Formats: sequence, structure tokens, C-alpha cells
Amino acid sequence: MTTAQMQRKRTRRLRSARSYVVLTLLALVYVAPAYYLVVGSFKPAADVLSGMRGFLPEHLSFDNYRSVFDSLASDSTGYFWQFMTNSILISLAVVVVGLVVNSMAAYSFARLTWRGRDKSFLIVVALVIVPFEAVAIPLLFMLNGMRNSLLVQALPFFANAFSIYLFYTFFLGLSKDIEEAATLDGLGPFGTFVRIAVPSAKPVFATVAILTFMTTWGQYLWPSLVISNPTYRPLPLELSVFSGQMPVDWGEVLAFGALLILPVLIFFVSFQRFFVQSLASSAVKG
Amino acid sequence: MNHRKKAGASVVAVTAAAMLLASCSSGGGGTSSAGDGTGDVEVWAHQGKDSEVAALQDAVANFNASQSDITVNLTLVPEADYTTTIQSTSASDLPDVLELDGPTLANFVYDAKVAPIGDYVSQATIDNASAGNVNQGTVDGTLYALAQFNSGLGLCANGALLDDAGVTYPDSIDSAWTADEFRSALQTLAAANDSGYALDIKENYGLGGEWGTYAFSPLLQSAGGNLIADNEASGVIDGPESVSAMEAFQSWLPYVDPNEDDAAFVDGRVAISWCGHWMYPGYSEALGDDLVILPLPDMGTGTKSGAGSWTWGMGSTTGQGTAAGAFLDYLLNDQNVAAMTAANGAPPATKSVLASDALYSAGGPLELWGKQLEASCNADAITSDCVTVLRPLTAGYPVITSEFASALSAIATGGDVQSALTGAATAIDQSFADNNDYQ
Amino acid sequence: MSNPTVVRTRRRAFRWSRRDLPGATMAAPGIIGLLAFVAAPFLVAVVLSFYNAQLNSPRSPNFIGITQYSRLFSDPQFWRAFGNNLTFAAVVIPVQTAIALGLAMLINRRLRGISIFRALFFLPVIFPMALVAVIWRLILSRSEDGLLNSLVHFVTFGQVGAQDWLGNSATAMPSIILLSIWQGVGFQMIILLAGLQEIPQERYEAAQLDRASRWQQFRYVTLPGLRNTLIFVVLLTSILAFRVYDQVYILITSGGANKAATQTVLYQATTSVFDQNNLGRASAITVVFFAIVLAITVVQRRVVRQESEA
Repeated sequence: MTTAQMQRKRTRRLRSARSYVVLTLLALVYVAPAYYLVVGSFKPAADVLSGMRGFLPEHLSFDNYRSVFDSLASDSTGYFWQFMTNSILISLAVVVVGLVVNSMAAYSFARLTWRGRDKSFLIVVALVIVPFEAVAIPLLFMLNGMRNSLLVQALPFFANAFSIYLFYTFFLGLSKDIEEAATLDGLGPFGTFVRIAVPSAKPVFATVAILTFMTTWGQYLWPSLVISNPTYRPLPLELSVFSGQMPVDWGEVLAFGALLILPVLIFFVSFQRFFVQSLASSAVKG
Repeated sequence: MNHRKKAGASVVAVTAAAMLLASCSSGGGGTSSAGDGTGDVEVWAHQGKDSEVAALQDAVANFNASQSDITVNLTLVPEADYTTTIQSTSASDLPDVLELDGPTLANFVYDAKVAPIGDYVSQATIDNASAGNVNQGTVDGTLYALAQFNSGLGLCANGALLDDAGVTYPDSIDSAWTADEFRSALQTLAAANDSGYALDIKENYGLGGEWGTYAFSPLLQSAGGNLIADNEASGVIDGPESVSAMEAFQSWLPYVDPNEDDAAFVDGRVAISWCGHWMYPGYSEALGDDLVILPLPDMGTGTKSGAGSWTWGMGSTTGQGTAAGAFLDYLLNDQNVAAMTAANGAPPATKSVLASDALYSAGGPLELWGKQLEASCNADAITSDCVTVLRPLTAGYPVITSEFASALSAIATGGDVQSALTGAATAIDQSFADNNDYQ
Repeated sequence: MSNPTVVRTRRRAFRWSRRDLPGATMAAPGIIGLLAFVAAPFLVAVVLSFYNAQLNSPRSPNFIGITQYSRLFSDPQFWRAFGNNLTFAAVVIPVQTAIALGLAMLINRRLRGISIFRALFFLPVIFPMALVAVIWRLILSRSEDGLLNSLVHFVTFGQVGAQDWLGNSATAMPSIILLSIWQGVGFQMIILLAGLQEIPQERYEAAQLDRASRWQQFRYVTLPGLRNTLIFVVLLTSILAFRVYDQVYILITSGGANKAATQTVLYQATTSVFDQNNLGRASAITVVFFAIVLAITVVQRRVVRQESEA
């Protein structure tokens, strides 16, 4: 190795060492609130709100978790597992039905020709910018008869203009050759979609699934408008009910919070390897 | 091409119109009927403290065991959602018997959600209800609800801390602290305490909720102001008297402990707590003989306090009037009223139990609050002798309380008093104007 | 049926042919869903905004013309809320985008374990806002035991006493902004990271041959290469900035946040329903809110188009 090479190697090492220091410091600051949540969830309430000592991992136990399950275990308060099940059912329904409905629509817009297609697609593009918040109040009025159910929490979110748009940009970029071959082999449009387009679109499916799951899981506004019965209440809404009931035990509230992010964490970790590339490519193209 | 665009738009319009219609048709009032006095009776109640829940569950179980004709099924709804739940349930889906927060009753009558109970509960039960109780349950001369208990509100103080700081305190309704005396007491107490605080106003309950109106609207009335007068809030809730009361309130805030752990008073971080009767059992256990009960500060026209609490009514479409009445008679008998008030420390709302109550009758530790309740009046007829004022008995109460409470929480975070109260006045008056004064 | 071709062509002139069927059928569920739950409610909002309407009321809505709008525009509370939205957007759009870009560049390295850092910075994005509000109200608690207060106390050697971060009108909005950026920045970071990875490495190498400084590389290679991604991120952030609601509502109602300083347009809309059961007012706010979002989008598209033409 020449001296110049060694020198270059040394500066590179120095640089990456500096990067690590900067990254670690930033990450510490950045993760502090999340760490506070996790460590606090194992601490007695009095230790949670005790200044910087709130960070110390002392007096740890599972008591808070046990109390969350114990105090949310009657018909009147609702059951913790019921809230969890509600959230999971709603989120999965919106993800699964949403993937089917939106990918089908996107494929139709990108690949099939039918009357009214272009105009319909224009409507979809226009609706991308309508945030859900802008229709929540009138929707409450329209769906008031369905309040306090699981369906009312999922129904408005199946069709999603942004998801259609994400699928659309992907299908548009897909090479047509295989599809044309499939059509020659006698596969109909739907068959081509299912057999050819869907398998090659895994990354977009993963991206849309993650985005949909995250937003649905965290829904607060809509359930707060349509749900008053604990039987149908999803977790985030229950978090605000739970943390509003006197006297508040902050340790228990944080334990509840930790349980709230666990499923979405699992969901994210299982699909995340597709996530970055796909979201990026659609953003860059869009 | 143009006609097709129109067709698309009209599909949307038709869908919208259909949904508009569909959601309008769900209303409609109902009429109650007596039924044959047997069968199931559905009951909804708010989920209060564990001890209250236990007392109610015992009452239901004992009632079911005491006879074989009627079966009561109890459903508990969390307190925070209770009123919203009733509001958002159509009249036909409401149960036979339901608990209601006193001041919301007029609104539920207005929305045809509750039935008159005079025909179904026995005359003896009605006669035994205290005057304030009947007052709270009566709308336009018709009785809709009766309560097991009333409520008491004042200051709970830590006598030892007051004495140590050399602060003298009132011993009767007439000698209540004036606003200035109260502030200087807070100042002295805060200086004497390591925490730097002197007062707990249960900020952890959220001043923007019903607690805000219940606990702090008496300050307006004590100053000579009010929430509303003759269906008009402008010049009343934001009149000079009300503004001065809220400015005084704002001047106490530097001494207020945030109380996020709900333990400021029992831990001795503050010497005084804005105090509802339900806090008494816990406070008395923690402080023992050091706990003293004081009236709220006198803002000018004599101390005023709050009254009214949860009460029992019947769903407007019940087909079980007789059976429901029998259950209410049972719930309001001496045994169950005594059990409930023992559980929550509330002043009994029936004459017979109040007379023998150990806490509120003469010589009891809460005698002062008992006396306050004897001098009770409605919000539209406040006299100088009256101490406890019921919250306004109008169907427009929900908008009054939410507007006042949200103004209060704006004031509590340092907002301008006059503009917060004027904002509330405008919103209340608009709502009354839109709804024909809720007549 | 003897001549199907003729039948088909004749049909085509008047109505859909069978060939249109698969495409239309596949798109139908999505389109119907969007019409029923996005387009129709918006029309309902427009209609309702001219009525005095209540939920679950036995009385039917009555027409009151533009009263709701005129009240709204003369209501200082509403303007305050609108101003808060503007403040929030004016700070969050540039700051959050800049932080996201900085983080994206930091983690766009071939270092061992970099994926752990990526995951850590992305982590808060999966936190529901309701939870973020709870965690941060504890951090920002005005009691001396609040995390931030004790940190400030420690750093200033006790010179600065406990602050009411959420309650004080001067610090309430910055607090909301801080926690919102904490939660949201990871998402923009990931998008920008992907954008950075699309920039061909050769461009940097060419710049290095020209002895371009790091700043020059950033200015003349990174920024132009990220142009489309940055536009997308700014657009996304500005719409998100106007949708801010969950944290504000939760912190005002149960976290002691200063209402005047933190309420937003959407807060005004839902409290009109929750507190006054006033659907008409809430619908009018909804319509105004949508007009704002539409205006932002149109303005931004126009600016972008002008820039690319220039």
C-alpha cells in the first residue's frame, strides 16, 4: 500500500468516525421521546413524571401492562383485547380491500381502454388533493345511521385516490411486452392483471399497504366523530379516553401507548424492505 | 360530450341527496307507555368511581332478587362519553331508564329523548325528594327526573399548612374570603410551601369540560354576573361583573399546581383545593383532622356555589313505564340512597336520608355544604341569600357550558378575559337565535 | 344475431360495448367509492353550509342562506385559527423539509449499521398522533418535574424556572410545531433519501474532478438532482400542514394547551359539532378549508410550472 492510499484510507476512516458521532448524537436526541415512552411504560406512575429521572431504567416491572389489561376488562370500560381486535380488523380490512379496489382501478386506467376512462381518471387525480378532513363532517351527517360499528370506520377509506395514483404510475412504467404475450395466450384483461401485473407490482403493493396501515391504524378524527360505544372503539381513541379518566396513571398510559405501536411496528418491519424504493420511484416520477 | 359530464355530476348529486334524506329521517319523538309492569327493564348509567358502580350494581341485584316480575339489565357507559352517547342515540334506541347529568336534562326534553316520570314513580318518592332535586328534574312544570344525590362544592383546605403560614380562614358562609383576601392568602401560602404553589383547581380534569362550568361559573354569579339572562348572553357572561370575576380568577393562576398526578393536595404541595364532594373521602383519609371545609371566595355579592348532579329519567319511547317506575322507586328508597351517598360522599337528595346524614347534617364535617344546599336557587332567580345556584335550566345549556368552559380554559392559559368571554357570548347568542331560543 | 359485428358497431355509437366492460368493471369499485365518500360528502357540505342543521335532532334543517359564512368571516376566533394554520405552515414547510434533507444526506452513506439509523429516524412516523400528543404533553409538562423543564433547569444551572410550554401563548405553537416535526420528518426523509439515491454517482465524481467544494457539490449537483423530489415533498408537507388536527385537539382538550394560540381551522370545525352540535357552521368551515387547500395546490403548481419554463 502506498502512503497516499493509506492517507486516503485514514481520512475516510476519520470521516466515517465523525459521521458516526454526529449520527449517534442526533439519534439519541431523536429517539429520546420514544425511549421515554418505553422505559416509562415499565415504571411506577410517580417515577414517570420526575424530571430527568424519568429516563433512568429503575423500578422496572410489568405492573403497568398488567393494570392496563385489568382495568380494561369489563363491558362498561370495554376490553383491551377488544380495542386491539377492532383496530386490527379495521386496518386489515382497509388494507386488503383497498389494495384490491385501488390496484384494479389503477390497472384499468393504465392499461385498459374503455369509454369514459380518461374523464374518470381526471376525477381521480382531482380527488387526490381532497384531504379526508375536508369531508369528515358531512360524512358524519351521511353515515350517522351507521355510527357505532366497525364498518363505518372502514367503509370511507377503501377507495383511495392517492393509492390509485401510486399504482397507476407503477403500472404505466411496466413493460407491455409480457402482458401482450399473455393476451395472445388467451388471458383476458382480468387474468392478465392477476397473473402478470400483480406479481410484478409487489413493491407498490407493499408501499400502499404500509401507508394505508399506518394512516388507518392512527385514525383519530373519524372514530372520535362516529364512535361512542366502547365495543367498537379503536385503540387510538381509547388512548385518549383512557388517558382522560381520573385519576390518570401515567405509567399505565405509557404502557397502553407502547402496546398501541407494537402491531404497526410489526407490520412495518415485515414490509419495509419494499418500502423505500417504491415510494421513492413514484415520488420522483410524480 | 357535455351531456355526459352532466350525467356524472347528477349521479353524485342524487347520491348526495339520497344520503341527506336517509340521515334526516332517523329523528322523531316518541311516547312512553305504562306496559304491564313485568318483564325486562333496560338501564343505562354512567360509570363513576368503583365504589359508586358497586353501589349501583348492588341495588340492581337486590331489586332483581326482591321480586320476580321485573328484571333490570344494567349497562355502564364511561363518564367521559356518557352525555355524547345519549345525544347520539336516537330516541327509539334509548333504554327504559337512564341516568342523566342534571343540567343536560332540558336539552334531552327538547330533543324528545326523555319521558315525564310523574305517572310512573310513586307520589311518596316525589314527596321525599329535596326541593333542589325536584327543581333540577322539572322542565316547564313537568317532572322528568329525580336524583339519588346532590353535589357539594367549596374549598378543601389543609388546616395545618394554613396555620403554619399564619393564614386565617373563614368558618362560615357569611365570612367567606373576598377575592383580594383569597389572593393574598394564596400568595402567603405559596411562599411558605416548597412547591411554590398554593392552590389546586383540578386542572387535570380539564377546565374545558363540565368541571369548568360547574366549579367556576359560581364565581360569575357571586360577582353579580351570570352565564345567561332572559336567553341573552351578551352583556351578561361578558358583562363587567363577569369579567372582573374571571380577571380575579386569572390572578390566582401563578399559585396553581398543574396537578398532573391528581395528588397536589394530598401530598401537601398545595394548601387549598377547589373541592367537589367526591374528593372528600380521599382527602379526609389523607389529612384526617387537618382537613377543613370552606366556602368559595366571595366575589362581591356573597359566596355562590354549584349544585346538581346525576339524576334518573326514562327514555321517551319506553314501553315499560310502570316497571321502570318501580325500579326508580326502589333506587330512590332510603337504603339505596344511603348506600350511594356513602359510596361517593355526596349530599343525599332525599329528605329522609339527608336528615340523618352523618356528613352533611348539623355537627357533621360537611355541615357547611349542607347549609349551602339549603339556600338553593335557580340561575334565573339568584337572590342575595341564595348560595348554591343550579346551572341554567334551558335546552340551550350544552352550548352555554361548552362556550363558557372553553373561554375559561383560554383564560386559564393567559388569554384576554374580555375577548374570551365576548367570544362565548356571541356564540351562545347565535345558537339561541338559530334555534328560536330553544323554546 | 346473424350479424354480430353490425350489432356491436351500432351499439357502440349509443352505449358501451362489451369491450368496455372489463375496464369499467375493474375501475368501478374505486370510482364508486370515491364518488360516494369523497365527492358526495363534499357536495353535502356545500348544501349543509347554508342550513341550520343539527345531528340527532327531531327538527329538520332550515335554510339560513350565507349566515354561516358571514358569521365565520366576522369571527375573530376563526381568523385566529386560520392565522395559526398559516404560522404552522410557514414554519413547518421550510424547517421540516430542511431537516428531512439534512437527515437524508446524513444517512445516505455507505456506513456499517446505517440502516439502524435510518430505522431510528423513521420510527416516530409509525406513532399515531394521539400517542405523540400524550408523550409530548408529559415532556412539555409545566410542572417542575416535566422532562423539558428539568432539562432546562439542569442546563441553565437552575437560572430558568419551570415554563408552561403548552399553556404560554408564546411557546404553545412552537411546541406543537416541534412535536409535529418530530413525528413527521422521517417520512419526508425517506422520500428524499430515495431521491438522493437516484442521482448518478458520476455527477459527484465529475464535480470532484473540477475541485468543487462540498457546498458547491450540494448546490450544483444535489439540489438540481433532487428537484422533482423536493417539489413533491414541499407539496405534501404544505397540505399536511393545513390538515393539522389530532395533536391540537388532544392537547387543547386534555393537555392544557393554549387554545387561542394553537387552535386550527379543523379544530374549529369539529368543536362546532362537539360543543354546539352546529353542523351548518362545521360544514361552512369544511368548505373554506377545502378552498384553502385547493388554492395552495393551484398556486404551487403554477409556481412550479413557471420555474420549469424559466
